[in-house]
Amino acid sequence: MLRNYLLTAWKVFMRRKLFTAINLACIVLTLVVLMVTTALLETAFFPTGVEGKSGRFLQVYSIYSESADRGTQRTSRLGWKTVERHLKHLPGLERVAALTGANQVSVYQGDRVSELDMRRVDADYWKILDFKVLGGRLPTEDDERAGRMVAVLNETSARRLFGDAAAPGRRISVGGQSFEVIGVVADVLHMNAYADIWAPLTTFPSTDYRSRETGDFTALLLAKNAADLPRIQRDVERAALGFVSDDPHRFALTRFWGDSKLDVFARELLHNYDQADSGGARVLALVGAAMLLFMLLPALNLVNLNMGRTLERSTEIGVRKAFGATGLQLAGQLVVENVLLCLAGGLLGLACTQGVLWLLEQSHLIPYLEVGVNLAVFGCGMLLAFVFGLLSGLVPAWKMSRLDPVHALKGNA
Amino acid sequence: MIRLDKVSKTYRTDKVETLALKDIDLHVAKGEFVAMMGPSGCGKSTLLNLIGLLDRPGQGSIAIDGMPLKRYADRQMAKLRNHTFGFIFQRFHLIPDLRVIDNVELPLLYRSMGGAERRSLARAALEKVGLGARMDHYPNQLSGGQQQRVAIARAIVGQPQVLLADEPTGNLDSRMGAEVMDILLQLNGEGTTVVMVTHDEQEARRADRIVRVFDGQLVA
Repeated sequence: MLRNYLLTAWKVFMRRKLFTAINLACIVLTLVVLMVTTALLETAFFPTGVEGKSGRFLQVYSIYSESADRGTQRTSRLGWKTVERHLKHLPGLERVAALTGANQVSVYQGDRVSELDMRRVDADYWKILDFKVLGGRLPTEDDERAGRMVAVLNETSARRLFGDAAAPGRRISVGGQSFEVIGVVADVLHMNAYADIWAPLTTFPSTDYRSRETGDFTALLLAKNAADLPRIQRDVERAALGFVSDDPHRFALTRFWGDSKLDVFARELLHNYDQADSGGARVLALVGAAMLLFMLLPALNLVNLNMGRTLERSTEIGVRKAFGATGLQLAGQLVVENVLLCLAGGLLGLACTQGVLWLLEQSHLIPYLEVGVNLAVFGCGMLLAFVFGLLSGLVPAWKMSRLDPVHALKGNA
Repeated sequence: MIRLDKVSKTYRTDKVETLALKDIDLHVAKGEFVAMMGPSGCGKSTLLNLIGLLDRPGQGSIAIDGMPLKRYADRQMAKLRNHTFGFIFQRFHLIPDLRVIDNVELPLLYRSMGGAERRSLARAALEKVGLGARMDHYPNQLSGGQQQRVAIARAIVGQPQVLLADEPTGNLDSRMGAEVMDILLQLNGEGTTVVMVTHDEQEARRADRIVRVFDGQLVA
């Protein structure tokens, strides 16, 4: 039966090539937008590339404090002291890393000034994230302990500062401090990895940071395996409950949470700092709903086109009904045809998506973007194509299945 | 085999109500060849559609093999059409996008039957109508007579008990029409019940019985 459906579908599509091409273009355009979005979301939130271990690490990104009467509230990034005292020694963790945000700094090199983004990180950071080292080496515990003024550059910054010459061994001046470049890593965009320059924590001009409970730090908590994450989240919550602020009269209650990357994004977006639920599920549901809504308009357009095509085939429908096809079988036939067209559109869309992503990378609109069509995006794309096929095929299929065979045979559907 | 009791059919549009058939009592016996005659618009095709379960009567009842059909659901009617009836239309109604063999296979698609068995039955049906060599052709590559023979093969491939033919020779010249009639008579000779609508008195005379319809009613 499927072969017969496929043959008919192919012939029907070929009968009106322009019509089919318009249908396909409509499907491809829609799916390209959705698949580019999917690929970007996948890169941002799923364990890929340098953050390949993000499936088993949690981030503690912000600290929320409030007074006893809830009249005063404060939300900030973590201070180093909070990471050191409350998170570094949680049980059952493989590693805990502390990293600052990527802050803009001026890098002086002779008479040239470059504005670059710099993070200060501890030695565990390099063991949790999987940077690709292109030259030299990464900082070690020893560098950190000794407070050596060393720095790592990403590929683009190394080329920008030193051209084609090897960067390791050269010196740069950042905010009045002189650093020796010891390594070059590949450009990366990921949430915790993105920066142009990295230096050890101990290169801060002063040790003030060590005594602050709030500041500019994020903690990465690497579990031994992903199954431990819920337990670690509970431990983090408990650690927050045991937190005593430096100003206990002003801030009686403190909260911080061990979050996945999506949860961090959702918590920051929805300002859910004082509750365990980050709102990640809601954000995902919203994204899903937005994607469905985005599919709905072209799907409605496709419904219209399909209705026209269905009416053209009323005699065939009448014949099939006369020879024993049920309404359900006929509806199934049209849905199969439409889903097939959408899947073909999905494959074309995937190829176009790859092209659009390549253009996006080359345009440098998003710095260091490295994103492509992988198996997950492919699967998601095909699922989107399938849903699109169902959305746009069901109504015409239902109408077709209800055609009166006598009228259909006369071609008066 | 087929019994119609006091069957009436009215078509309604927004303003007009047309009585197509009125109080039809008809019995077609198993293995019988019935020719249905009457002027255009008298209700012959409506009657044939009712017999073939393509339409439902407004009043009265239809029974197939003694089973009244009044309360049959769409799925049961479809199954009954598939197993009991084979349709031959004046304008052939072959699907132009499918090859001859795929057209003939069509009724078998709606049965639980494997592809090889379907193909073999379709091939046998085509050979029976003398078109074994045209299986891979498309309908538009055949003459009118050949297309009607393909339509006959499609109608008989599922070995139905009843063939319903609506002016099967209406679009054919006399030689091809005669060929089609010969096939229908041969099938009837093999035990298939045939109900045929025709305008041709000569063709009708070759049937066992002629039923005449006038203004929606059977006349003697």
